[in-house]
Amino acid sequence: MRLWLLPVLACALAQAGAPARAADAPPGASSCTGCHARTTIADSVIPRIAGRKADVIATAMVAYRSGAWPSSVMGRIAKGFDDRQTAAIAAWFAVQPE
Amino acid sequence: MATRRRFLKGAAALGFAPAIASAQGTGAGRVVVIGGGFGGATAARTLKALEPRLDVILVERDAVYTSCPYSNGVLAAVREISQQQFRYDGLKRAGVTIAQTSATAVDASARTVTLADGDRLSWDRLVISPGIDINWTVLPGYDEAAARKMPHAWKAGAQTVLLRQQLQAMDDGGLVVMSAPANPYRCPPGPYERACLIAYWMKIWKPKSKLLLLDAKDAFSKQRLFQNARAREYPGMVEWVPLSKGGAVTSVDPATLTFFTDFGRHKAAVANVIPPQKAGAIAALAGVADRTGWCPVEPVAFESTLRPGIHVLGDAAVMGAMPKSAFAANAQAKVCAAAIVDLLAGRTPVDPTLINTCYSLVAPDYGISVAGVYRPDKGVLAEVPGAGGVSPLDVVGGYRGQEALYADSWFRTITAETFG
Repeated sequence: MRLWLLPVLACALAQAGAPARAADAPPGASSCTGCHARTTIADSVIPRIAGRKADVIATAMVAYRSGAWPSSVMGRIAKGFDDRQTAAIAAWFAVQPE
Repeated sequence: MATRRRFLKGAAALGFAPAIASAQGTGAGRVVVIGGGFGGATAARTLKALEPRLDVILVERDAVYTSCPYSNGVLAAVREISQQQFRYDGLKRAGVTIAQTSATAVDASARTVTLADGDRLSWDRLVISPGIDINWTVLPGYDEAAARKMPHAWKAGAQTVLLRQQLQAMDDGGLVVMSAPANPYRCPPGPYERACLIAYWMKIWKPKSKLLLLDAKDAFSKQRLFQNARAREYPGMVEWVPLSKGGAVTSVDPATLTFFTDFGRHKAAVANVIPPQKAGAIAALAGVADRTGWCPVEPVAFESTLRPGIHVLGDAAVMGAMPKSAFAANAQAKVCAAAIVDLLAGRTPVDPTLINTCYSLVAPDYGISVAGVYRPDKGVLAEVPGAGGVSPLDVVGGYRGQEALYADSWFRTITAETFG
């Protein structure tokens, strides 16, 4: 977790603190569930992200974006989101039902 | 009121009167969705999930939806058509009312949809997600009768099964001829995936056969990836003729399975015409299609720029830089549903961000992908600079196999989200 990301993330988490209405999903978040399933999909090789810790999701996105972690599509997608946008998406998935 | 009474009579006959009655007086409003594909079915169930008090009616002609994504695998005999098919029970369980019939007319000022049986539905917001129709008027010789001889298989179902049967009945050594249209059309990389998967199948079952792909374009989606894969996996089996080399098909003759170009003619043992397309017919009837045959929309709620109150999703719409894919339709539907909930509650929807991811299979264990991120910019959905792109040309290890596995997981996930 990069330290400079924490205030942004804390802010996003605070906004999402109450059980978030699905309609309040931050920009970009609703597209993710086309691959990252809301429900269990047998033998899927794509991990679920709902209910994961926000800093785990945000750290992965930042690492995919920089290329520090290898990926296929995730690096290309992560480059479309800045730190604030990434933190908001991570915070929102963190409070979605697992 | 006449409309409402007429509808209630029809609703009782269809057996969904209770859903209508319970929606009375809630004040949340009614949204009618026309078309139960990746766009429409996703929009309907997302609307209901976001605002359970909404009365959501999905108008869909067919009881069973047949998915185009992954249907090239049916041609290659690595999948069965039944694996492409989905019903609407999941939407019913989610509280969506299914009207299994066709919409025949839309009145944008009265805010009504007329159904095939003459009944009329009133709406506060209308979503049209009809997919594509074949444009039968632009390729001489190619009409609905011709499609029974030279299947398009670009709307999955009976056409897909027909093309597979023709391939299987072909003599070893027979020439398969495909034609691909100019842009825009459904699934930009689809013709090239199909050519590769048919070649994969021929390599096993008809090793003396060849495939000729006549193209009305000089460039296409994931081009270098496809070309490298074709050269490596199917050397000498697949010939691609681009526009500049005379690839544009000017007419076809279904009696002799012949394609005509400005440079000559090609007689096929099996002929697959991927013809020019347009938005599904209801779009023109509703007045949301322009002279191109497609539907211009604004980039936040995908509301028609021609008919306010009507939203258009998926392949039928002009979505700026976003391609016509199932992933895109599903992503647009979720954004549109949230925007409609906002609009009905008097809130202004915020600018969305959308993602597209599209996998193609070059062989069942060889996948390639393209991804993009999109935001409104100057009135259209524009690609976010620096993001997106295709799979690398040079990879090591199991990258292609991994992308084939991702493709499979993606298909099962998105169909579960849409229909499950």
